[in-house]
Amino acid sequence: MADAVEAIVDVDGLWKSFGSVSAVEDFSFRVERGQVCGLLGPNGAGKTTSLRVLMGLERPTRGDVRLFGTTVRPGCHEFARVGAMVEQAAFIPHFSGMKNLRVWWEASGARWRDADVEGALAVAALGTAINRKVKTYSQGMKQRLGFARLLLGRPELLVLDEPTNGLDPGEIREIRELIARLTQQGATVLLSSHHLSEVEQTCTNVIVMDHGRLVASGRVSDIIGNAGGVYIEVDDRERARTLLANLPNVANVIPQGDGLLVEMREGRRSDLAAAIVGAGLRLETITPTQQLEDAFLHLLDSRVVEPPKEPAR
Amino acid sequence: MIALVRTEFTKAFVRLRTLIIAAILVGLPTLIVVAIHARGNRVRDNGDNGEGLFRLAHLSGLLVPAAVLAAMSGFLLVVIAGTLAGDSVAGDASWGNLRYLLMRPVPRGRLLFAKAFVAGTLIWTCTILVVLTAAVGGITLFGSHAVAVPGQFDLTTLTRTSGFTLSVGTLLARTAFATVYVAFGFTALLALGTFFSTLTDTSAGAIGATIGAYIVSEILGAISQLGTIRYAFPTYYLDAWQSMFTSNSYSKDMVAGVIVQCCYLAVFGTAAIVWFKRKDIRS
Repeated sequence: MADAVEAIVDVDGLWKSFGSVSAVEDFSFRVERGQVCGLLGPNGAGKTTSLRVLMGLERPTRGDVRLFGTTVRPGCHEFARVGAMVEQAAFIPHFSGMKNLRVWWEASGARWRDADVEGALAVAALGTAINRKVKTYSQGMKQRLGFARLLLGRPELLVLDEPTNGLDPGEIREIRELIARLTQQGATVLLSSHHLSEVEQTCTNVIVMDHGRLVASGRVSDIIGNAGGVYIEVDDRERARTLLANLPNVANVIPQGDGLLVEMREGRRSDLAAAIVGAGLRLETITPTQQLEDAFLHLLDSRVVEPPKEPAR
Repeated sequence: MIALVRTEFTKAFVRLRTLIIAAILVGLPTLIVVAIHARGNRVRDNGDNGEGLFRLAHLSGLLVPAAVLAAMSGFLLVVIAGTLAGDSVAGDASWGNLRYLLMRPVPRGRLLFAKAFVAGTLIWTCTILVVLTAAVGGITLFGSHAVAVPGQFDLTTLTRTSGFTLSVGTLLARTAFATVYVAFGFTALLALGTFFSTLTDTSAGAIGATIGAYIVSEILGAISQLGTIRYAFPTYYLDAWQSMFTSNSYSKDMVAGVIVQCCYLAVFGTAAIVWFKRKDIRS
């Protein structure tokens, strides 16, 4: 039966080994049309390897990787619908930015007039530097040119591997805003990043992987909401501490600054607020302390890591 | 395919390295021609073919291209051809650009063919450039007339060979033939270089391995104790064309040379395609 929602990326049981070392083990995930999906994991988790397999740069040891419903092979036609930046943006150093874009675009036989180069250049915002040799560019300029390249031809899917690496905070913000604009225009995005706050602010969905395996996946709000803490300020801190410590859905209450840090087992923040107000206390502040970073670390800490296995043949 | 070849040509031509190679391939033959002219009739007869061609070069400007080709095909053209072939894939890989090329709907076999084709075309262009430059210089300084080649003393048979005359038409035809043979003689190097280029992401490594393989082939080819094994070396028959000018004969070794080059192309060309199609791109 056909899926109700179209899977733009469909990875099923992916294994990738380098000799006796398994980089990715039985990794499966989907990215559906319109999603902005963050691929999270510590260094060596297998994020880049997974994206390389997805883009046909590396052959899967086992498993099926599909783009737009078609199994990925090196040079497959579906790549024309994908804009990708894997690791650092790289160019021919002695060519200008514009010449790089054109040579890359035309290599597949595509017509330059179909590239929508104006739109891509508007994103890169390189001004007259677009006609300078790339070897004179800063890392940030190369990264922006990389974005211009992946946007040529208005791809339906963007695959970004650590897109803000090497950029300063201002440039990171620009890239974040750019991704937001692109998704508003209907692009589907799969991005890996070490910057958890970036994923939290940019992505609708998240896939967490560690040691080559899937740890969790789902909407960002769901991942954050699975466990967490709440910071509370009240007019009588000690009374509130006693009250909250006796609630069944509270695991721990720790004084912090002028308020209390409440670690919840389950339930919602509104339950805490109702209990405090019901006890006649004045609630000054209530805010979640749990962010994606906490959820990410919690997921990794709670995971039992098994030794790598050989892929089944 | 045409678009791919065109973009590869653009990448190969529009770079400083190509300009430097072109300058060397114009400058050095010019220098050699001037040297031949300055040396005049002070010639030595030591029986060496390369030397022999240089000994004859001042007799007619139409013999100068052959002399210059003999001088440059032994090393400089090998270095240039090795550089072009070895850099074909590894050059893009070392820039990190190869992975971006392969994330386009471009089949790997087609990309490899385009790169090898462009490298091969540039090698032929370089060889032709050397010959044309030498021809212009030679004709300017020595004229373009038929030449009577005097007999030579053969050290192996201790006899003197009879002289012969090469007409203008013969000289032109044999020069063209020699150019084609020398350019084709780099086919094995092209195949080896392209293969090495798929093995590494370091351009210098691929170039070094290619030129190194040729140097080893030259050294081993000079060791007569190796016997018939030497016939399979890619450099063994490279100078076979020179007999057209020094002894007025088409050597059978030229046919053997072509066959050896074709074998290397088949073996290492296939190996390059198979390897590159299966390779994980890690650059």
